[in-house]
Amino acid sequence: MTDPAVRIAVDLDRGDFHLDVDLAWEERVVVIFGPSGSGKSTLLEAALGLYPAARCRVRLGGAWLEDPEQGVRVAVEERRLGWVPQAPTLFPHLDVAANLRFGLARGDARALARAVEVLELSDLLDRRVDALSGGEQQRVAIGRALASGPRALLLDEPLASLDVGLRARVLRHLLRVRDELDLPIVTITHDPDEALLLGQRVVVLDGGREVASGDPAEVLWSRAVLPVSAALGLENVYQGSVTGSSAGGAVFRSDAGLDLVLPVEVAAGERICIGLRSEDVLLAADPPGRISARNALAARVTRCEQSGPDVFVHLRTDAGGERLVARVTPAAAQMLGLADGSPVHAVIKAQSLHRIA
Amino acid sequence: MSGAELLAITALTVRVGAAATLAILPFAVALAWLLARRPPPGESLIRALVALPMVLPPVAVGLVLLWLLGRRGPAGPLWEALGVDLVFTWWAAALAAAVVGFPLLTRACEQAFADVDPRYEQVARSLGTSRLSTFFRVTLPLARRGVLYGTILAFTRRLGEFGATTLVAGILPGRTETLALGIYSRVQLGEDGAALTLCGVSFAIGLAAMWAAERWLRRESQ
Repeated sequence: MTDPAVRIAVDLDRGDFHLDVDLAWEERVVVIFGPSGSGKSTLLEAALGLYPAARCRVRLGGAWLEDPEQGVRVAVEERRLGWVPQAPTLFPHLDVAANLRFGLARGDARALARAVEVLELSDLLDRRVDALSGGEQQRVAIGRALASGPRALLLDEPLASLDVGLRARVLRHLLRVRDELDLPIVTITHDPDEALLLGQRVVVLDGGREVASGDPAEVLWSRAVLPVSAALGLENVYQGSVTGSSAGGAVFRSDAGLDLVLPVEVAAGERICIGLRSEDVLLAADPPGRISARNALAARVTRCEQSGPDVFVHLRTDAGGERLVARVTPAAAQMLGLADGSPVHAVIKAQSLHRIA
Repeated sequence: MSGAELLAITALTVRVGAAATLAILPFAVALAWLLARRPPPGESLIRALVALPMVLPPVAVGLVLLWLLGRRGPAGPLWEALGVDLVFTWWAAALAAAVVGFPLLTRACEQAFADVDPRYEQVARSLGTSRLSTFFRVTLPLARRGVLYGTILAFTRRLGEFGATTLVAGILPGRTETLALGIYSRVQLGEDGAALTLCGVSFAIGLAAMWAAERWLRRESQ
């Protein structure tokens, strides 16, 4: 049997917490998702080799870094993993440039130059670390990891400590890192938006165990994970570009080809990500007539699922075939007579579409 | 008391203090790091032993040193063979100061290392830096304030070491007479004016060292 691209198996006892997972995947960008205390950070730290007492098997970036069966245990400093832990991470006694160069003995100047370019760090180089905003600190920490010539990037909640505006900026930089550098990435988050936007695959952890894994949207909207992901703010997320403007708003076209009118002006051509809460989607059996909502989309029901007091209606839009989930009451679902395959119209106010990145 | 005499006493005091501090600095730093980061088995016993010179009467420490350094002590044949006689030299004064100052410096350094978030060290290692290199590039620079403060504190504290020093080094004018010993012998001789002058010098050196340390710390934290 051939080795998987990535394998992280950890069996670790830390007093009252037990992490026991055996993960393997082929995708390049994987998100570890779960509530706080689920063992996400411990998993990354174990992969890095910080727990000598843990029983681990770690394969990342095409090499076994730890495998008791083969007698392999690569030292932390030899693993070449670009780790960005939660703050504090930047060395406070060094300025930005010195922080970026810290791992240069192992990396190379080209990697550093590329990191500075992709993360737009050139204006920050001679700044002191304590003069940086939270978002700038995260970008520098990611840049420092990239400059050290890593075989893979391990990001621990890179956006968690940031407020909404900064989060959007850093998220855009993260998307650039993902798309412009051909590097395996494992990133941790408890934010469903990030999991949907960044991951080619998601692994859900809870209580130190793997709960589910697979395609991010499939997994996060699945019946088993929904109670956790909904509580953490799961919503519909679309990536695409602005194609034009429409009466004080922008027209957004998702990568699959779904057009939506946004309430804000955004320059045409700009790539953006938008979010839409499932409870903000109205369903109508018939095409709506003259209404204030700017978006009315023809769609088909793919499945209806009750979770708690709500019914989650999964739709596939006729234009673009995008996934759209509406959260309605059981009474409303019954009144509409929704069944798999039924045609419906999803009505969405421009105001309920918000920009994530 | 002549100016030359005063200068000799002051210079000897500073030399003894500086030599003692520099000699124990690497050991205190290494032991402090070990205690802060990788407590060895028997940690409590090691801590107790390190603290011992601080809680024993200094005269008792001096007596033990005298016994260890003397020709009639257990190491006597060794000193005889080497042809060295450390007792009643400034080396003995420095050794006494070093032993008495060691706990103070170790404690200060240990606190300084304990205050460094281990995450910085983990990040450094993940970036390809060995343990040793991480210590010099990350841990020590981040702990430098505590280490420096401890060093200066130990140095100034040592200027006043009396009990252990008198026993192993005696009070030999020009050879082992430090400020503290000088003050004592002047008072014994009834030369109160000279004693007060030496007091003033002690005061000035102590104040200058602590003031410099405080200023440096303040500038660092801005």
